[in-house]
Formats: sequence, C-alpha cells, structure tokens
Amino acid sequence: MIRIAAVGDVHLDENARGRLRPALERVGRHADVLLLSGDLTRHGTVGEMRVVAEEFSGLPVPVVAVLGNHDHHSDAVPEVTDVLHDHDIEVLEGDSVVLPIGPHRLGIAGVKGFGGGFAGKCASAFGEPEIKAFVRHTVDVADRLRKALDALDADARVALMHYAPIPETLQGEPPEIYPFLGSYLLSEAIDATDVDLAVHGHAHYGAEQGMTPAGVPVRNVAQPVIRTAFAVYSIEP
Amino acid sequence: MNESEQSRAPGHHAARLRRVLAEDSRTAELGVQITVEGAAVHLAGPVASGRHKDELDRVLREAAPEMRVYNDVWVVEADEPGSGEELR
Repeated sequence: MIRIAAVGDVHLDENARGRLRPALERVGRHADVLLLSGDLTRHGTVGEMRVVAEEFSGLPVPVVAVLGNHDHHSDAVPEVTDVLHDHDIEVLEGDSVVLPIGPHRLGIAGVKGFGGGFAGKCASAFGEPEIKAFVRHTVDVADRLRKALDALDADARVALMHYAPIPETLQGEPPEIYPFLGSYLLSEAIDATDVDLAVHGHAHYGAEQGMTPAGVPVRNVAQPVIRTAFAVYSIEP
Repeated sequence: MNESEQSRAPGHHAARLRRVLAEDSRTAELGVQITVEGAAVHLAGPVASGRHKDELDRVLREAAPEMRVYNDVWVVEADEPGSGEELR
C-alpha cells in the first residue's frame, strides 16, 4: 500500500505563514509522500514562495509539486522553482520522478495543465492567433504529460496537475468558466497511459471525487474543497 | 442608457468588481463569489488568511464607495485530516 497526501491552492503569503504547519508536522503518520497541486502562492513572487518552501520543507516525507496559474503571475517561474528546489521540494513540469516507497516504486508525472474545456464544449485551434495560441498551449502541455507518464518505469503511477482533467471534479463551479478550469486533453493523456491516480487543484468550488472516461480516479485537492491541511489516498501497486 | 447607467447595471457592476479583486495586486483574488443587489455587494468564499479577508474589504470599498459591503468570506480550515481514502 502506498499512501499519498495531497493539497493544492494553499495561496500562502506572509500573512498565512505557518497556517498548515501544525498538521504538516504529522503528515508522516498519514502518508509516504506529499503532493502539491499548484497555486501555492497568491502572486507567484519569490518572497511568497519562500513562505511556501518553509511551510513544506523539513517534513518526514518527500514533497513533489507542480506550479499553478497564480505561481506564474509574476513571470518568475525559474526563480520560484529554484526556491522550492533549494528546500528539497521537487517541481515537475512535463517530467517525472520515481520515489522508493518501501518495496515499491511510485512514479509521479506532473504538469501545470491549462484550460480549453471538455468534450463537446471545448475550444479548437481555429481563427484568431490568440485562440490558436491558447489551444496549442493546452495541446503541448497534455502532450508533455502523456510523454512523461509513458516514460515512467514504476509500480504505481500518479498524474499531478493544477488544472482539471475532467468536468466532474468542477461540479459546484459555474459551468460558464469550465473552459478556464481544465481540459479533456489531460484526461486523454491519463487514459492513454497506465495511471492509478490523477490529482489536481484550481477549482475552489469544485468536488473532490471524479473519474476519467477509462475509470482512473481523479481527486480535486484544492484546499477549500478538502478543508483540511491535506487529503490522503492509498493505492495498492 | 448612458455609460455610467450601464456600468451600474447589477450584472456589469458585479463583473467589474470581480475584475478589480482579481487584478488589484493587493487582492489577486479569483476565488470569491460576488453578488450585487441594489446598493449592496455580498462577498462569500474561502480565503487563506484573515488579513486577506480585510484586504478584499478595503479594495472593494475603494472601487465601489457608494455600495454597502457584506463580507462573509471565511478562512479555510487547515486541520489534520481524519482517515484517508483507500482506492480500489
């Protein structure tokens, strides 16, 4: 059994420093690894990410993150990524990591993801350059996720994203904004590979539980959804 | 209807205030619900700190000084979870 803790959308800054730490100190009692599904900061500044790094560093389990749209806001992705790396927090974007968990190897592939919408109600790469650029970014991100998952040599695999791969975990959000919350292309990538669990955030008013068309469990771990410092899921490799 | 009357239409007003809270660097907030009814604006939703709740209040009062602000935003819980979920 591999126990996976996960949380996203913690939106930390100096005013929220230490908010999660009391519960995080005990994460080793619950889980073997902690995943962070993006939107760790409010504005994506180096100062805010230092607060995040201090909140999530020095824990008894490895910590693996993807960034979210808020973490991109200050156009300082390399710098905020370095802050996390300096605190031994792995940051994935189109790549993966394999962690030894007891006798098992847990593979995690991660991307930020992007919007575009879901089957039957999604944008196409047609028309103005702005629309084509929007859709192509999603296509590129989903392609990177698929390749990273494909390349994983592990006993169990997790897809870690910020944006949602399915609409079910968005239920509670206004349907009009679903195209800004996720893309079916992410779940296509998940279903094309052998994934045991998909984790995302981004949708504060969404639902925790869903499933891809091929039956892979999807969990929305946005902190306003799970209403705890982290959620825990166990998978049997 | 002139421009200022149009911007006072509740739908436009709520949309404008939503943009203000998203784009003002003090708030950068995309996750709260804003409802406008007459001269009242109602905020609801989870945020990460009490200070952030106060900032929403301040920015909204600046952007719409003629409105009454009802701020029912709450700070999201961050306790240790109970038992986890076993998949499969």
